[in-house]
Amino acid sequence: MTAVSGRCLRRTACVILTALAAVACRGRVNPPSNDLLIVGYDREPDTLNRFSTHILEDIQSCIVEGLTTTDERMRVVPLLAAEVPTVENGGVRLHTDGRMDVTWKLRPGVKWHDGTPFTSADVKFTVDVINSPAYNPESTDGFDRITSVDTPDPLTAVVHYREIYAPYDIQFIRGALPKHILEGRDLDRAQDYNRSPLGTGPYRVVEWKAGEYILLERVPHYWRGDEVPKVRRLLFKFIANTNTRINQLKSGEVHVVALVPWDKYREIADVPSIVVTKTPGNAYEHVTLNEKQFPPFADARVRRALMLAVDRELYARTILDGLAPVAHGPIQPVSWAYTDRITKYPFDPARARALLDEAGWRPGADGIREREGRRLSFTLITQAGYAIRENIAQAIERQLRDIGVDVTVQLHDGTAISSIWFEGRFDAMLHWWQMPSDPELTTFFAADRVPPAGRNINYFRDDALTELLYASDRTVDRRERKALLERAQAIISEAAPEIPLYNVTRLDAVPATLANFKSNPTNVGIFWNVHEWEIK
Amino acid sequence: MTHRCVHAIPLLFIISALVFLLIHAAPGGPLAIYLSNPNVRPQDIERLRHALGLDRPLWEQYWSWLAAFVRGDWGYSFSDGRPVASRIAERVPATLELVGVSLACAAALTVPAGVYAAVRRGGWFDRVTASASLAGMSLPGFWFGLVLQIVFAIHLGWLPSSGRATPGADDFADHLQHLVMPAAVLAVVLASGWSRYLRGSVIDVLGQPFVVAAAARGASRQRLVLRHALRNALGSLVAIVAVDAALLVSGAVVTESVFAWPGLGSLFTEALARRDYTVLMALLMLSASAVVLFNIAADVAHAAIDPRVAR
Repeated sequence: MTAVSGRCLRRTACVILTALAAVACRGRVNPPSNDLLIVGYDREPDTLNRFSTHILEDIQSCIVEGLTTTDERMRVVPLLAAEVPTVENGGVRLHTDGRMDVTWKLRPGVKWHDGTPFTSADVKFTVDVINSPAYNPESTDGFDRITSVDTPDPLTAVVHYREIYAPYDIQFIRGALPKHILEGRDLDRAQDYNRSPLGTGPYRVVEWKAGEYILLERVPHYWRGDEVPKVRRLLFKFIANTNTRINQLKSGEVHVVALVPWDKYREIADVPSIVVTKTPGNAYEHVTLNEKQFPPFADARVRRALMLAVDRELYARTILDGLAPVAHGPIQPVSWAYTDRITKYPFDPARARALLDEAGWRPGADGIREREGRRLSFTLITQAGYAIRENIAQAIERQLRDIGVDVTVQLHDGTAISSIWFEGRFDAMLHWWQMPSDPELTTFFAADRVPPAGRNINYFRDDALTELLYASDRTVDRRERKALLERAQAIISEAAPEIPLYNVTRLDAVPATLANFKSNPTNVGIFWNVHEWEIK
Repeated sequence: MTHRCVHAIPLLFIISALVFLLIHAAPGGPLAIYLSNPNVRPQDIERLRHALGLDRPLWEQYWSWLAAFVRGDWGYSFSDGRPVASRIAERVPATLELVGVSLACAAALTVPAGVYAAVRRGGWFDRVTASASLAGMSLPGFWFGLVLQIVFAIHLGWLPSSGRATPGADDFADHLQHLVMPAAVLAVVLASGWSRYLRGSVIDVLGQPFVVAAAARGASRQRLVLRHALRNALGSLVAIVAVDAALLVSGAVVTESVFAWPGLGSLFTEALARRDYTVLMALLMLSASAVVLFNIAADVAHAAIDPRVAR
């Protein structure tokens, strides 16, 4: 028996070892080159139709170009438009009855990938389709204020708005739909377009392998000239698991990873073939204080006390590893509307305690403050699976306990948390907003924009602020609008409706040999200037 | 046999109703993903809710899903608008490949390890396999997978860390390279459980009077173990294997996710995160049907191996 089993075992071992030897030749690793650049992407897109998708548009922006885009400093720059229309250059006309006309001059000589000229008829078609009940785009924001589009010539589109719409300059940031192939089609089911859109951009889709990758190849006669883009093929590999994505980056199997989680920074910071770029983001992490669910938050003294009790500088130095600076308000330094002239709250637990005393919250037997029989005790929810967020939540819990405030941290999955905040069923929430590139604050702070009408989930009411915000939405002149938004920021910082924590700085890992890489703080993503990329 | 198949039908109906209720009870829905985009306004959410039919009463949604499902119409994915059937069909080959190979490898490890450990009960081999199985059963699959990636992909550079093939170079060797680590993780986890089970069964059978009698009649040790003990022990192992074989249809959720393997398991993870109800329902009904069918198949196989069961 021993002999038989021994033989059997040896045979099995032999088979396994042979199989291992057969496959254990060095894995094929392609270094980044102008022939092929491999991107580790954290998810598979739902659709490549930029108006339908509800995730980041990195891949889409390589294929379909907008009339404008935002650059690395979040300035709106022309792309398929010859210039950005403004009041000064006559592109924007305001009527006395409140209507507004925007005239888009299109760049001449731009063709769709099939050779058909790109014209103002495509712009008009796009507006008509998005406003048609037959199509279900992700958002109709702005489009639903357009009454009609005139096309006096193939390179001019005059867009008539029924009211002033301040972010008109990014109305067509997602580009246009090609009329000649989509007219009369059901766009929700036009899988040929949605899986391989016809665009004007530097790349087109060669292959989309479900669950695995999307391969893009440069188009032959891109309108910027035949010499660009320099990189021939872009391969987007779908790797949802963060650890696996980072492992592929380290092994050289992928070359680019956008939005590297901060807790992975140290793992890749020393890899010589990779550069990790840091870009101040247009997003901020903060603690929302829901006044409706937890009425003690309605007292500004309580909110200010909480703000003073958390040592944000300490979090930035330790938990965030110095990668992200402290944020003091909802508008980030990268925005043209940002101002530094606001109330700031240093770490000052003594003042925090004094404020709570003044508000009538006295320490109870267990050290937790009470007032009229109610304990200053609330739940802080946040998304599970983000190590940094979980650590910050614990730090807040600990520091607020020091001033006699009881916090219970609760973790939820991402989808669950969205529905919880949308319904306002939480006391406090640690999360971030990716802010729109246009500095509109109305949806976040206007008194009448509490859910479901908006995202004022602090349920914060300040009539003066509300008035200012609506006035800023109806102002096209940038100087005037900036003045209004600066006053709004001052009011917000004084009232402290929420606790801003830190700016969500973007970390993007790219090959050390990649030239002309410029990240982007907005949802436009890092591929906005992909035509300039080159491996040196 | 026919009887059991007929019984399975009402069972599957009950499962479908329960699963439908459960996934709709989970917080968030297919539209939750839109909420984090400030450009998506409440009126957009309402418009999409209506377009997806999510504003109808739950029973009505279930009924229309069921009526279509039994006719073979699995509907459209809430996330990308493509037919659910084709989203599933394109993932089937990857899962069959990974799970099929893993089951085969696990079986190849289980039989010699389980039998030899039983025969040499208490010996060094038994002790080593006992520890190895315990480790295999208790190691989280995702951790084991990541460790393999770090060793074999990053440090040694022998194997690709994840994926199913190198895009553009997917020949047989490339395919095999990609398969090694995920299949190894899955096979080790499966074999750890199976081999302990087989060892126990073989020890049981070896102690039975008919084996002792056969030994007394002079049957060789080899014949005793392989013909008498193993054959009797295999019957009950088949039932366990059949349950695990449902992975062929459900996909290996954790392993597929760690290795970015484009199978049904990673489709399930994605659909769950996005609350893609139609895809989730179809995947869960497939898994439920597979568990029911494989159990029936296991009984048939058990009867074929062991005629006493058939009687």
